[in-house]
Amino acid sequence: MPFKEAIAVALHSLRANKLRSFLTVLGILIGVSSVIAVVAITEGLDRYISDQVLALGSRSFRLQKQPDIITSNDEWSEMIKRKRLDLRDFETVQRACSLCADVGASMSTSATVKRGRLRQKSVRVMGITEAIPRIGAVRDLDQGRQLVPEDIEASRRVAVIGVDLVEALFGSVDPMGKQIDVDGHRLKVVGVAEKKGSVFGASQDNFIWTPITTFRKLYGPRNSITIQAEAASMADFEAAQDQVRMAMRNRRHLTYREKDDFAIETGESIMELWQTATRGLYVVTLVVTAISLLIGGIVVMNIMLVSVTERIQEIGIRKALGARRGDILRQFLVESVVLSGFGGLLGVLGAAAISLGLAAVLGGMMGLDFSAPVRPWAVTLALAVSSVVGLVAGIYPASRAAALDPVDALRKE
Amino acid sequence: MSAEPVPSGSVIVAEGLWRTYVMGTEEIHALRGVSFTIEHGEYLAIMGPSGSGKSTLMNLIGCLDTPSRGRYVLQGKVVSEMDDDELAGIRNREIGFVFQTFNLLPRATALHNVELPLVYAGVPREERIERAREALERVDLGDRITHKPNELSGGQRQRVAVARALVMGPSILLADEPTGNLDTVTGTEIMHLFETLHERGDATIILVTHENEIAEHAQRTIHIRDGQIERDERKGA
Repeated sequence: MPFKEAIAVALHSLRANKLRSFLTVLGILIGVSSVIAVVAITEGLDRYISDQVLALGSRSFRLQKQPDIITSNDEWSEMIKRKRLDLRDFETVQRACSLCADVGASMSTSATVKRGRLRQKSVRVMGITEAIPRIGAVRDLDQGRQLVPEDIEASRRVAVIGVDLVEALFGSVDPMGKQIDVDGHRLKVVGVAEKKGSVFGASQDNFIWTPITTFRKLYGPRNSITIQAEAASMADFEAAQDQVRMAMRNRRHLTYREKDDFAIETGESIMELWQTATRGLYVVTLVVTAISLLIGGIVVMNIMLVSVTERIQEIGIRKALGARRGDILRQFLVESVVLSGFGGLLGVLGAAAISLGLAAVLGGMMGLDFSAPVRPWAVTLALAVSSVVGLVAGIYPASRAAALDPVDALRKE
Repeated sequence: MSAEPVPSGSVIVAEGLWRTYVMGTEEIHALRGVSFTIEHGEYLAIMGPSGSGKSTLMNLIGCLDTPSRGRYVLQGKVVSEMDDDELAGIRNREIGFVFQTFNLLPRATALHNVELPLVYAGVPREERIERAREALERVDLGDRITHKPNELSGGQRQRVAVARALVMGPSILLADEPTGNLDTVTGTEIMHLFETLHERGDATIILVTHENEIAEHAQRTIHIRDGQIERDERKGA
């Protein structure tokens, strides 16, 4: 029997048993849709994270007392002992890094900010040098002026505020030149930063910039600062980091055998961490998928056996009319493949629905541009895998059908 | 019409056919050395009570089964030595089956049922449809081609089966109790159809039946009993 006929027969019997076919392919549907959805979601998150992380600036890096992520207690106790970074370190880096376009320093804390009876909690108060808004994700202003070197030199009590504070404390009042109260200290608003929205539900607009010198007066000089630098070009990115590293090692008098007693973080290091985490997710998904496809295959095989038993007479008729073993074998194999391929197809649709739904939910909840793209390669792979499952599951039932004796099969009522 | 058909070579030569089934430890001989020849264009009936071995003989003639011993030659080909797939090819080209229970595919239209042997013969689609339509027209069902078996009367179903049996132009038309599931009127109608086919010289017709009235339509009757030929009668010979 030509292939086309076999497919027509398979589709026919699929249609004749709609509910049974659907239930049969549920396992495959779940397996396929979970793998595509997870791939799509992970990729969407990957893209989202890299957008966000790299928005920090692909050429920028940070010099910190300790890395962002500490993975053990031992590491932690070592971090505690490290020297803090201070403004003299900043000056050293600034002098040493000829490949840096900009170097800035910052420190931060969380505070409640008040204006009269209005208050805004958990505001990120950052003491910065004037270069910070230019490094990484450039932050422009909606109103007023940026902090200038004179603000820093003179430790002026001025602030640039995020739009969350404007909304919470000023409403429709023009904030320019007004005083705000930060943990009991008065600062004058000189600028309002443009709105950035939120990342993972955390607002990026609930902050205050004040000169780092002012910050140290308000909160004391004890905390370590973060030094941020931007390489002059992408080609200089590694070299700029090396300049900073060498300058710090010299300053700390480290021998070549000793490890860095400071940390340099880039957007890349966060991406790497994220990718390690998602790799785990992939493995789990793979296992879940493998199990559901296995179960799906068993169900398909079972139903194919039922189908063969139900159609013994049909097989007898076909054989009497000249069907060879191979014809019958092919007919049932094609039916099995079409059945589970149909499951794979439903799985793809399911995955598309999940991805779209998730994108809508995340997008709506967090007000961000999140998309979970269903990739053609994932779809192709899913259909191929489900077809292979169908093929394997169909071999035994189909060969049983093919081996039937025509006389016995015809006699069956 | 002459009573004695002009011999134009034997369609079937059967020599000492045995068919033995093993049931547990017991051997059952359904056929015990049956020999006969059938000439081209003959209209013949195989008669016998149930258990006589006539169904077994029909399976052998129809190439659905092979003899345990003996030689069966169909159109000059030694069928008794063929494997499954070769038998399938022979059934497809040389044999047209008409069964007591029609044995149509219930979910397929009359046209598709008639098309089936052509599908297995690898005939291209357009030609298949054309030939199946012609075959249905020959049994006066040209206006029923899109009907499914359950939309047709018993007589119409059997005529679809006859069209299916004829569509490949087989050398023998093998009918197993073709009127067994039909009322007398429709039964007569089907027998009339066979007579027309015979007069047109479309095929060698072999009827397998236990009914005398049916067998009477044929020109020759082979009586089977206990796995052997009891009598071989020619009408008006």
